[in-house]
Amino acid sequence: MAARLFALLAWVAVACAPAAAQVFPQFPYDVPFVPSPQVTVDEMLRLAGVSEKDFVIDLGSGDGRMVITAATKFGARGMGVDLDHDLVMQSEESAREAGVSDRVSFLEQDLFKTDLSRATVITMYLLPSVNMKLRPRLLELKPGTRIVAHDFDLGDWQPDRKTTVRKNAFLWIVPAKIAGHWRMRVELPPIERLLELELAQRYQEVTAKARLNGVPAQVWELSLEGDRLRFVVVDTTDREHEASLYFSGRVSGDVMEGDVTRGVGATRSTIRWRAARTGP
Amino acid sequence: MAGIKSRWRATLGCALLFAAALPALAAEVSRETYIPTPYIPSTTVAVDEMLRVADAGPDDLVVDLGSGDGRIVIAAARDYGARGLGIEIDPALVKESGENARRAGVADRVAFREGDVLKAEIGAATVVTLYLLPQLVEQLKPRLLAQLKPGTRIVAHDFGFADWMPDRTVTISKNYYLYVVPARVAGKWRLEADLPGGGRDFDFEVQQSYQRIRGGARVQGGYLPAFEARLDGDRIAFVLVDANTSLHFEGRVSGPVMEGVVRSGFGRAPVTSHWRATRVGRTPEEG
Repeated sequence: MAARLFALLAWVAVACAPAAAQVFPQFPYDVPFVPSPQVTVDEMLRLAGVSEKDFVIDLGSGDGRMVITAATKFGARGMGVDLDHDLVMQSEESAREAGVSDRVSFLEQDLFKTDLSRATVITMYLLPSVNMKLRPRLLELKPGTRIVAHDFDLGDWQPDRKTTVRKNAFLWIVPAKIAGHWRMRVELPPIERLLELELAQRYQEVTAKARLNGVPAQVWELSLEGDRLRFVVVDTTDREHEASLYFSGRVSGDVMEGDVTRGVGATRSTIRWRAARTGP
Repeated sequence: MAGIKSRWRATLGCALLFAAALPALAAEVSRETYIPTPYIPSTTVAVDEMLRVADAGPDDLVVDLGSGDGRIVIAAARDYGARGLGIEIDPALVKESGENARRAGVADRVAFREGDVLKAEIGAATVVTLYLLPQLVEQLKPRLLAQLKPGTRIVAHDFGFADWMPDRTVTISKNYYLYVVPARVAGKWRLEADLPGGGRDFDFEVQQSYQRIRGGARVQGGYLPAFEARLDGDRIAFVLVDANTSLHFEGRVSGPVMEGVVRSGFGRAPVTSHWRATRVGRTPEEG
């Protein structure tokens, strides 16, 4: 992303981020370097729930503070990507000073050409146009990958959570691809149930049509978070003892499986379920 | 738990008529007027969902207002190990409830009283279940807020409170609304925190509308807005940003005192210290 119209974009960015009102003489890159305040860095990493198990990739890593904070305060590993040679050098120096250079690295690279598949968490503070250009790649990441941005969102992909501590920070969880036709047999006495689901998906928002033993049934409280799916179907097979079936499980390719609980309180029973995708 | 419970027996047809006529009724009827409420028993799924949404357990006293044939109270004792109390205006249903409880083997843990839900003493409840018409739900609201302890869960089926946003809404065939009775925190507080850099004092001020709170701290030469302020029963949480550090406060409210822990720092090395606030001046009348 070398120089395109950026003077204008940068001016917009500076206007939008008055806390960092530093004006740069020239703009050789798509996104100007406007450092995130430390509180914002802390809150973004907290919102993402970063821990020792995470690998954080910061897109447009500037002076490296996001990745270095992820390592020093949260114990994560990470990588920063930036086009600016000087900032990459500065980041490496800061990592050494902070004693985390064994766990973080910085690459002088175009973020659009960077392999993101290692990331469990992606952080970014870019311009809206850049966010939108990145969005298709973000949606291809492993389901469950967390993306955190501040100030600017991802268009009509609604955040799963957001926080406001001085600034708005948004969290998205990459949803599994679950649209299509699914079938499962649930071995619940007295009779086996056949549940057929037809799922439509828009990001993490999923709507369902269902048939329980061939009879249309409604699906309630449906939620998808990463690869974790939950929903409720009211089981009317036994008219005298209607009860809710609470499904929770994980999606992995063309299979989803988990636990289903029938009923509540002391009368509930739980068994495993497994569904397979039968068509698009 | 009966369905639309309590105050009068009527047919479903009547109930529907009633629901249609409600707005007009509400305008004309005074507070003391008797509101006939049709008896529509809750389905088993509705009983299940109300108690699940309330998260009833062995430590709970579940009070069902308009308890009908006793099914909610009995399910709370039988399926969740809770104790229960049903209030019902129809003596025949009260009698039937007692018999149903004996048959279910929970007669030692539940009780049913014949009475008006608008006059019942319910301060000991930890869970209150309601399946009543909107006008009666509204009339009950001030009594519930005045009598119930902060943290008490109220679950309403179909009809909730008009201006009180539920803490949670669950839709499984029908709508269930969970309301957690909020502590009263509106007003001025003196907040002291033992922060790592030394003790700090803040003049802390809170505005409240049910569980929604906002406010901030006055410090020398400035104002620190409270971010992410939340109130869940007697549990309060908020974030102050001071000197480019965020301070995460969490604590419990108990009358004129709230106290808890404040975390600064994150991840592996959070610094936890103690904070305490005491009320300055009087409790405002309306939460």
